[in-house]
Amino acid sequence: MSLLQEERNIILNNEYVDNFDFAEVEEFVKNASKDLFISYNFKTKDKMLVQPRGGFPTYDKMFALYEFFDKANVDVLPCTIDSNTRLNDYATAKKMLRLSEENEVDMLNGYPLINHGYRTSRKMMTHFNKPISLRHGTPDARLLIETAIASGIFEIEGGPITYLLPYSKNFPLDKAFLYWKYVERVCAEYSKLNEPINRESFGPLTATLVPPCITIVIQLLEMLLSLEEGVKSFSVSFSQTGSMNQDIVMGAVLRKLAKHYSEEIGVTDADIHLVYHQWMGAFPMDQNYASQLINMSTVIAAMVGANKIITKTKQEASGIPTKEANAETVANTQYTLRILNGLPNIVDKEEEEILTAEVMAIMEAVFNDPADTLWRKVFNSIKNGTIDVPFSPHIINNNEMITVRDRNKNIRIIKRGKVPIPDRCFEYEKNQCDLNKDTTSIVNDIIHDIGIMQ
Amino acid sequence: MKVVTGVVGNDIHVVANRLIELSLQARGFEVFNLGVNTYLEEFVDAVIETNADILLISSLNGEAEGWCREVKILKAKYGNLLDNVVFMIGGNLVVGTGSAEDIVPRFKNYGFDLVFHQVDLNTGLDELEKFMKERDK
Repeated sequence: MSLLQEERNIILNNEYVDNFDFAEVEEFVKNASKDLFISYNFKTKDKMLVQPRGGFPTYDKMFALYEFFDKANVDVLPCTIDSNTRLNDYATAKKMLRLSEENEVDMLNGYPLINHGYRTSRKMMTHFNKPISLRHGTPDARLLIETAIASGIFEIEGGPITYLLPYSKNFPLDKAFLYWKYVERVCAEYSKLNEPINRESFGPLTATLVPPCITIVIQLLEMLLSLEEGVKSFSVSFSQTGSMNQDIVMGAVLRKLAKHYSEEIGVTDADIHLVYHQWMGAFPMDQNYASQLINMSTVIAAMVGANKIITKTKQEASGIPTKEANAETVANTQYTLRILNGLPNIVDKEEEEILTAEVMAIMEAVFNDPADTLWRKVFNSIKNGTIDVPFSPHIINNNEMITVRDRNKNIRIIKRGKVPIPDRCFEYEKNQCDLNKDTTSIVNDIIHDIGIMQ
Repeated sequence: MKVVTGVVGNDIHVVANRLIELSLQARGFEVFNLGVNTYLEEFVDAVIETNADILLISSLNGEAEGWCREVKILKAKYGNLLDNVVFMIGGNLVVGTGSAEDIVPRFKNYGFDLVFHQVDLNTGLDELEKFMKERDK
C-alpha cells in the first residue's frame, strides 16, 4: 500500500464518516460526466463563467438553492461549507444539522458535507450536470476534500496561505502547509482518471487595502505548491481593488507571471485560469448602489479578461442573502456579460513594469530562503515578514506594511515593513500619495479608504 | 504611555483592531496589540506583563456584554496590581440595539473607567487623552 493510501485510511477512519469505498469512488470519478469538471468547462465554454456564493444546512434547502441558480442560468454552482466543519468540529455540525432538519430554522451557515456523506450528496451534486465549486476556509481540509471529490465536486478552493492568514489567529501555519500538500496530492491523483480536478486559490485575502504585489505573490506561490504536487488545472484569483486601472494592470501581470513561474519549475502542461471576485470590501447599505457596484465589477472583469467571475448580491451589507437575491445577481451578471462586446484593450506600461518588479523581487527573496523545500521557504518568508498581508488577524503575520489609496483610488504602499519592495518602486508608490499630512490624518485616510464604496 | 489592546471574545474583526493600533501609535502611545479573539484573562496577563497604563478592549459584534461582566471579579483577584490601570472599552457593545445612556453605566458597573458605545474612534481617543491628563495632574 502506498504511503498516501495509508495516510488516507487514517484520515477517513472517522466516526462521522461512512466507510469509504475507494474502488467505487474511483469508478465514479472515471465515469463522471465531463460537464461536472470546471476544467472541462473552461476549455469548451467560450465565455466568462458565472459563479455565485451560497450554502444551506439541509439537503432540501441546498437542492432548492441549486434549482434557483439553474433557472438563473448559472455556469458554476457553489457549495459553501458551514463554519463548524471548517474547524473540523463534525459533532457540532451534526447536532446543528439535526436541529435544522427538525425545525424551520437554519442552524448552520453552510452545507455540512461530511455529515451528509458522499453517497447522499452525490445525488444532488450530479443532478444538475454543472460544475460545483467547494468554498470552505478550512486549514485541515483533508477529509472534506476526499468527501467532496467522492460527491462529484471537482473544484476545490483555498490554500495553505489564503485560507489561513485572513481567517485564523493561531492555527499553525506549518501544519496548514502539510495538510494542503495532502489535498494537492489527492487532487492530482484523481485528475489522472478523467478531466483534471481544478484547484483555485483565494485571492481576496482580507479584502482590505491589500496591495497588488502581495496578492500576486501569494497567488503564484499557492499555484507553484499545487503544480509541484501534480495538479494540472489551477485558477489564480483576485478581487476588485477599487481602482479600475489597478485591476487591469493586476490581471495582466498576474497572468503573465503565472505562466513565467510555472515554466520556471518546468510545468508546461497545466491550464492556468484567472478568476475575478466582485467587490469584497464593505458594501453600501443602499441596494440600488450595491447593484451598481456589482454591475461595475462585471464590466471590470470583462476588461481584465477573467475566465470566471464570482458574484455578490445587493443584500451583501445586511447579512446572508436570500436565494432569490443570489439568483437575481447571476441573471444580471449574465445579462451584463452578454451586452459587453468589443471592449477596448487598456495597457498601462509603467504600472505593469513597477508591479512586475515588485512581485519578482519578493519572489526572488522567497526562493533565496535557505530552506530545502518550497513550502518551507514560503513558511519562513511569512514568518520573517518578507510576505506581509495588511489586516491579517494571524499572529504569524508581520503586520508592518501600511497602505493607502492615492487620488485615483489605487492602493499604494507607504510603509513596506520587511517586504523587499525595490527602492525605486517604493519611491514611485509613495510619490503617488500626499504624505505631507500628520499621522492622524493619514490614519483617517486609511479609515476612509476602507469604506470607499459605502 | 503603554496600552494593551485587542478585540474580546471570539470576535475576528481585525480591521478596526488594526486601526486602533495605528491611531494609538500616531498619538504616541506604546501599543501591545493582542489582536482579535482574545480572552479577558489574556488581557489582564498582558497588562501586568507589560506594566501597561491602559487596557483598551474593543468589540464589534456584541460579544462584550457576555465577556465583560467578570471584569470586577478578575480585578479583585489581582489585588492592587491593577489599581492604576485605566480600563477602557469601545465599539458596538451589545447584541441588537441599545442606547448609550443605558449601556455606559452598565459597563462602568462591570469595572470600566471609560465606555464608548458606537463612538467614533478619534473621539474616543481624544477622551482617553483628556482623561489621562486630568488624572495625572
